[in-house]
Amino acid sequence: MTGMASTIWLPLFALFYGAVMLYWVRVSMIASSSGDGFFSAGHALSPWISALVIAGASMTGWFVLGGSQQIAEQGFQMPVLIVGGVLLALPGTLFFKRLWFVAERMRVSSQAEIFRVYYQSAFLVVVSVAVALLFALGFAGLQIRAIASFIDLLTGGTVSRLSASVVLGFILFAGAGIGGMRAIGLFGVIQTVLAFAGIIALSGFALIWSGGFAALNAGLLELSTNDASAGLFTVNGVIHFTSGLGRGGELADANTALANLSFAFALMGFQASPLIIKLVLSTGSPNGIAAGQTWVTAGFFGAVIAFCIALTGAAGLVDRDLALGGLFSALQTGSPWFAAWIFIGIAAGVQLLAGLALFVAGEGLIRHIYRPYFHSRLSKQGAVTLTRIAIAVLAVLAMLMENLTPVTLSALAALALPMAFQLWTPLLGVTWLPWITRPAAVTGVGFGIAGVLLTEPLGYQVLSFFGLELPWGRWPWTIHSALWGMAANVAAVLIISAITNRSALGPEAREIRQLFSGLLATSGKAQGLRSTAWSVTLAWFFLAVGPGLIFGNGAFVATGESGPVWLLGMPSLWAWSLAAWISGLGLIWFLSYKMEMASPVHVAIPPYEPPLRLKKDKSAEEQERLRILILTGAVGFALTVLIAFSFGG
Amino acid sequence: MSKAAMVERDLLVFSIWAVLGFGGLALLLEGFSRDSYMISLAGTLTIVAGFVAHIVVNGVFDCGFRPGEAALGIAAFGALALAFIGGWAVGGLSPTDYWSGLTLFSVLAVGLPAYLSTRYGLRGAFSRFHVRHADDGKPAA
Repeated sequence: MTGMASTIWLPLFALFYGAVMLYWVRVSMIASSSGDGFFSAGHALSPWISALVIAGASMTGWFVLGGSQQIAEQGFQMPVLIVGGVLLALPGTLFFKRLWFVAERMRVSSQAEIFRVYYQSAFLVVVSVAVALLFALGFAGLQIRAIASFIDLLTGGTVSRLSASVVLGFILFAGAGIGGMRAIGLFGVIQTVLAFAGIIALSGFALIWSGGFAALNAGLLELSTNDASAGLFTVNGVIHFTSGLGRGGELADANTALANLSFAFALMGFQASPLIIKLVLSTGSPNGIAAGQTWVTAGFFGAVIAFCIALTGAAGLVDRDLALGGLFSALQTGSPWFAAWIFIGIAAGVQLLAGLALFVAGEGLIRHIYRPYFHSRLSKQGAVTLTRIAIAVLAVLAMLMENLTPVTLSALAALALPMAFQLWTPLLGVTWLPWITRPAAVTGVGFGIAGVLLTEPLGYQVLSFFGLELPWGRWPWTIHSALWGMAANVAAVLIISAITNRSALGPEAREIRQLFSGLLATSGKAQGLRSTAWSVTLAWFFLAVGPGLIFGNGAFVATGESGPVWLLGMPSLWAWSLAAWISGLGLIWFLSYKMEMASPVHVAIPPYEPPLRLKKDKSAEEQERLRILILTGAVGFALTVLIAFSFGG
Repeated sequence: MSKAAMVERDLLVFSIWAVLGFGGLALLLEGFSRDSYMISLAGTLTIVAGFVAHIVVNGVFDCGFRPGEAALGIAAFGALALAFIGGWAVGGLSPTDYWSGLTLFSVLAVGLPAYLSTRYGLRGAFSRFHVRHADDGKPAA
C-alpha cells in the first residue's frame, strides 16, 4: 500500500469526526441560547444519555490506554483492573441518587455547590475544584499526550506530537468551551459508542494476530512456566513491608493483595470526582441511575474491560509487537481504514474525559471560587464568558505541560484518582452518614490529602526540594496512596465527629436530612436486608479485590504430567477475575435495586426556599479578600524561595 | 415530535452510523484490499444492519428519513457507484472485487423498495413515485 493511501484515512476520519462534533456544538449552542444551559444543560439530559456518557467517561479511553498497557507490562499481577467495571460503578450506586435529590431540592448543579450548601465550607469547595484541575491538567493531559504520540506514530512523523497536541487542544476547547455541558453530554453519546466499538475492534485484531484464544493462552501458559516470568501470573502475598518505590521497593514486587485492594480504592475515586457528579446533576431525572450503573457501567462496560481490554493486554504480554503501539503500527500498515476508525474511537473516549474535566475545572474556578468569593456581582453571561476564557487557558496550559513538562504531568496525573477518593467522606456525610460533622469532614479531607501527597512522587519531591527527605517512597508497604490517604481521612473523621457537636447543622443541611428521612426514606424491606448487604459487600471485596485474591492464584490450575494445566484454558487469576466481575455485577444489582440505593423514585421535589436574608454590598469585603490573597501568595512565594535556597534546591 | 425527542433520535442515528456505517466501510475496504468476498460481504451486512437500526429508530420515534439524511444517503450511494464504475472501467477490479461491489449495490438497490413497501405498503410505495395529478383536486382535462 502506498504511503499516500495509508495516511489519507486518519485525516479523513478525523475530518468527519470534527464536522460531527461541530454540528453538535451548534445544536447545543442553539438549545442553550434561550436559557442557562451552558453550565448544566438545563438539567435536562435524558437518563439514558447520562448513563451512557457516565460509563464512557468512567472507563473507555483511559482504561484502554492504561489498563491494556499495564497488563501487557505487568501481566495479571493486578487482577483488580479486570473487575474495573464493578469498582467504577460502585460509588455511583452509593451516591448518585441521593446527590441528585440534594441538587434538585437545593437547585444546585455541582459537587462544589453541594459542599458549600451542606457544609458551608470554602475549603471543601476549593478541594473539589482542585481535584477537577488535577483531572484536567494531569489525568486527561497525560492521555492527550499518549494520543498525540499515537498520531505521530500513525502518520509516520508527518504530524508531530506537538502539532497533534495543539490541534487536540483546539478540538477540546471547541467541544467543551463553546458548547458547554450540553455539548459534552450530547456528543458524549457518540464518543462513548465510538470508543467502545474501537476497543472491541482492537481486541478483535489482537486476538486474530495472536492466532486465536487457544494460541494466546498457550503463549501465556508458556510464560507462566518460565521462572523469570511466572510472577506475572500471581498475586504475591498479602503485603510486603517495603519502603516504597524509589526507596528500595521495586514495581515488580508491588503485586500484593493489598496493592490490589488499595488500587481498587483509587479506581473508586473516579465516580466520586466532581466530573462525574457534574454529569449526574445535569440529568433531568434520577430514574436511569440504577440501570446505568448496573447494566451499562458494571455490566456492558465491565464485560468490555474483562474481555476486550484484558485480551488486548494479554496479546501484548505474549508478543511485545502486539502491545498498543505495535498493534496500531501493524494496523496502519495493513488496514489503515481500521487503524483510523479504531484510533478515532479511542481518541474520542479520551476527548470525552478531557473535555469534561476542562469544563468542570473552568466552571469551578469561575463559578465556585471567583464569583462567590471575589466578584459576587458578576452576571450570568459574564460568568459564561469568563468560564470559556478559563477553559481556553487551561487547554493551553495542558498542551504546554504535555510537551514541556511530562514528568510533572505524570506526577499530577497520579494524584487525581487518590485525591478524588478522599472526597468519599464528605460525600458520605451528605448522603448516608449524618453523624459526620462539618469540622470532621473538613479535617478528614485535609488529612487525606496529606496522606496522599506524602506517598506520591509530587509530595516527596516537593519536600525534597525544600530539603526534607522522607524515609519512604511511592506506595510504601505496597499500599496505594489512595488507601494511605483514606486511613488518615477516616481516623480524623471518626475522632473529630466523636468530639464535635453533631446537631450543629445549617438550615440547608437540616433540610437535606429531612428529605432523606422523609420522602426518600429507605423502605422497611430494604432495611431488613442491611446486614445481608454488608456481608455480601465485604465478602466480595475480600475475595474479588482483597486478600482473597491469593486463592485465585491456584483456583483454576491443576498439575498435569507435563506441568501445570489451566482448567479453564486461561490464567487462573483472569478466570478468578471474570467470576469476580459476574458476582460484582450481582452485587451492584442488589445494592441498586434491592437496597434501593439507586432505584427509581417517582416523587416531585419542590425547590428549597431559603429564609429571606438582607442582601448587602460585598464589594469592599471581596476586594479586601483579593488583596489578602495576593499578599499571601507573594509572601508564600518569597518564603518558598527562601526555604528552597537555604535547605534544598 | 418534540425538539428534545428529535435531538435524541439524531443522536442515535449518528451513533449507529459512526459504528455500523464506518465499521462496515472499513470491512468493505478490507475485503477489497485482501480480495476476500467474505470480508466484503460482512461489510455489506454491517451497512445493512446500520440501515435496519436506522429504520428501527425511525419507527420508535415515529418518523421517516429526514431530507438531509436522504440526500446524504443518495450522494454516498452515487459516489460509491461512481468509484465502482471507474474501477471497472480502468480494469482495476479483480473478480472478487467485482462480485463484492455488485453484492453491495444489489443489496442497496433491493433495500430501497423493500423499505418503502414496509413503511408505506406496496401500493403506497408506488405512489411515492407516481404522482397522480387528478389528486390535486383539479378536474381532469
